[in-house]
Amino acid sequence: MILKQLAVGIAAMLLATVMLSAHDEYRIIGTVSKITATTLAVKQTKDGKVITMKTDANTLVTRDKKKVARNDIKTGGHVVVDALGDTINDLLVVEVRLVPAPATKE
Amino acid sequence: MTTPTVSTAPVPSIATLAKTTAIALVVAGVILITLVLPAEYGIDPLGTGERLGLTALANPPVALVEMPKTEGAALVPVMKGPIGEYPSGFKFDVFEIELAPYEYVEYKYSMEQGASMLFAWTATGGLRHDMHAERAKGAGDGPAEESFDKQDRKQGTGSYAAPFTGIHGWYWENPGGEPIKVRLTTAGFYSGAVEIKSDRSRHPHALQSPESLAAAASGTP
Repeated sequence: MILKQLAVGIAAMLLATVMLSAHDEYRIIGTVSKITATTLAVKQTKDGKVITMKTDANTLVTRDKKKVARNDIKTGGHVVVDALGDTINDLLVVEVRLVPAPATKE
Repeated sequence: MTTPTVSTAPVPSIATLAKTTAIALVVAGVILITLVLPAEYGIDPLGTGERLGLTALANPPVALVEMPKTEGAALVPVMKGPIGEYPSGFKFDVFEIELAPYEYVEYKYSMEQGASMLFAWTATGGLRHDMHAERAKGAGDGPAEESFDKQDRKQGTGSYAAPFTGIHGWYWENPGGEPIKVRLTTAGFYSGAVEIKSDRSRHPHALQSPESLAAAASGTP
């Protein structure tokens, strides 16, 4: 029984590592347009396009390099998101940085 | 007074622990050979990676690069003492970009192993910086990507000799809320330049010949 659990655990960890490390990393910069328990939608600053991404228990939320609670993500707040995936339409969020509003051009 | 409860579960013997550890190592080894190596490094001794489609994961566009097809012979140096001779002339390039807040860009040149270039870049603010290279497919053993200078910088000047065939250059990230301009000037024996944006899109850049430099110089007073 212990052996089986151990083997399954190792297999799951290695498989997860493989799946995550084989993807490209994307950066999405903008404002939060919607947040749910499993998704984060961000309106990009550069083109106004809304990118909806998946989140999971490993999604890290930080402000000034310190970990903060997930519910600190607020609609309308400025964020820098690093996410992994094969395309921009299929991304899993790795980290959400809560940042001040960037300077706007006059 | 209560009597403390003592677990009655049998304690595994040393032999059992050793057996468990050995089995775990064997399982990990099997997973390493059948799943991890094919997916991560394209090493597929048993053919399981190909059957499961994992070897394709080892060759994502950024991890292992295809060298562009160029006219003429590849710019591989033939070393004669301190002199490196090339089959054709060097190229010249200027790249300028304004990085929006928190944005990053990569700018890289296709270079053969041993080929060299000179570079100088400046920025209007401090950047997160990583001068690194990505190994081309079939360009020998070693990591798919290697960093050579990873630190915050505002400028850089130097020479570079490609340690392996692949794409070689810079990652610049704007860490703050103000736009930052970057200007890079290089000259060297490279065959192509590519800009990789933070949405992973790739944009080739045209290179200039030394003749264009000479023409520009002769036009100056």
